[in-house]
Amino acid sequence: MSGHPAAEIEPELITKAQRGDRQAFGELVRRHRKGVINVVYRMCGDANLAEDAAQEAFIRAWQHLPGYRPRSPFRNWVYRIATNAALDVLRRERETMDVDTLPLASPYEGPEATVERCERGECVRQAVLALPPASRAVLVLREYEDLSYREIADTLAIPIGTVMSRLNYARNRLREALTPYLETL
Amino acid sequence: MTEHVTAYLGAYHDGELQGWRLRQVEAHLAHCATCRAELERLRTLATLLQESPAAESLTPPERFVVQVGLRLPRRPVQTAWQRGLEIGWRTAPLGLLGAWAFVQTVFIVAGVVMIVLRMGLGGDVVAGLLPASQQGTWLAQALSLSEASLSDVGRIVLQLLSNGGPLGWGVTLNLGSLVVIGLLYWSWLASWVARTRISGQQRIRQ
Repeated sequence: MSGHPAAEIEPELITKAQRGDRQAFGELVRRHRKGVINVVYRMCGDANLAEDAAQEAFIRAWQHLPGYRPRSPFRNWVYRIATNAALDVLRRERETMDVDTLPLASPYEGPEATVERCERGECVRQAVLALPPASRAVLVLREYEDLSYREIADTLAIPIGTVMSRLNYARNRLREALTPYLETL
Repeated sequence: MTEHVTAYLGAYHDGELQGWRLRQVEAHLAHCATCRAELERLRTLATLLQESPAAESLTPPERFVVQVGLRLPRRPVQTAWQRGLEIGWRTAPLGLLGAWAFVQTVFIVAGVVMIVLRMGLGGDVVAGLLPASQQGTWLAQALSLSEASLSDVGRIVLQLLSNGGPLGWGVTLNLGSLVVIGLLYWSWLASWVARTRISGQQRIRQ
């Protein structure tokens, strides 16, 4: 007897969804929606884009679900797809976006000017967005999704040493960009 | 004073260090104010990052799920028959291994029986298996009847066939079955490599 999808454990939902059960997949979407939107939002910095990219990520997950093997947690697998979907969305947007509206901090702008222009949260968001995508993905998964180095390595298919070096690089860049705030905290 | 451990402070802050490296960093931090300050800056940065607001969901959760559901492309549902076929394909090497083990067992048992018979043991068993008129003579009779109406070449071929070829029936059948099993295994291996490559390309596109 099969119960309501909301009451089922994740492996059962995954097996059903792999067989084409849309209701089971809907429950998986419900459970991972927040995390996926958050990852995508931190990657691309725009709530509208984040929702589009999150939907895109779930559609890709549905398409590739028959090939998913539970060697790694489903969450990590979906985050990997979400990260790639976010990068694709960013790439597409960058082709059409006006340069003036790009949410990146200007390299010619001094720290004081940046402080004046940004609210603290907005400034942090822009500093994260100014990171190279590869380092940003590692930082987002670590700082916002609390994944371990091993999980990040599995999710992004990179060695643990690369996770460490990208994370160190991202943190150093952020510390330089956010110096005024770090001193006042 | 030992060298600074700046390179490992991030991993220490994240709780990712273990064993002697963890002890090394802890021992260093106990007496190095520079590295302690560096660690404090990492903690402050983490706090600052956490203060950055999360995404404000523009679409209510249920609506989001429905929207995703509406955009899902059709995917052929795997039937029980297809699942069985898939499981069969995945376990094919085990089946081939079983077939090889079966063939080897049959030949070993047959060899043992032949040795026993040649040694004159178990005669009573053979006597019970065949009618008295045919015991030990049926093949010879068949051969002599055929030989009467054949040329020399035909007789040689018939003789070889009755012996199972130049190597004998046992070895010929054994080799033949090994070749068939080997070919089937290599075919399976080739299709497995092809499938792995295709799924690898799909994974890259995810």
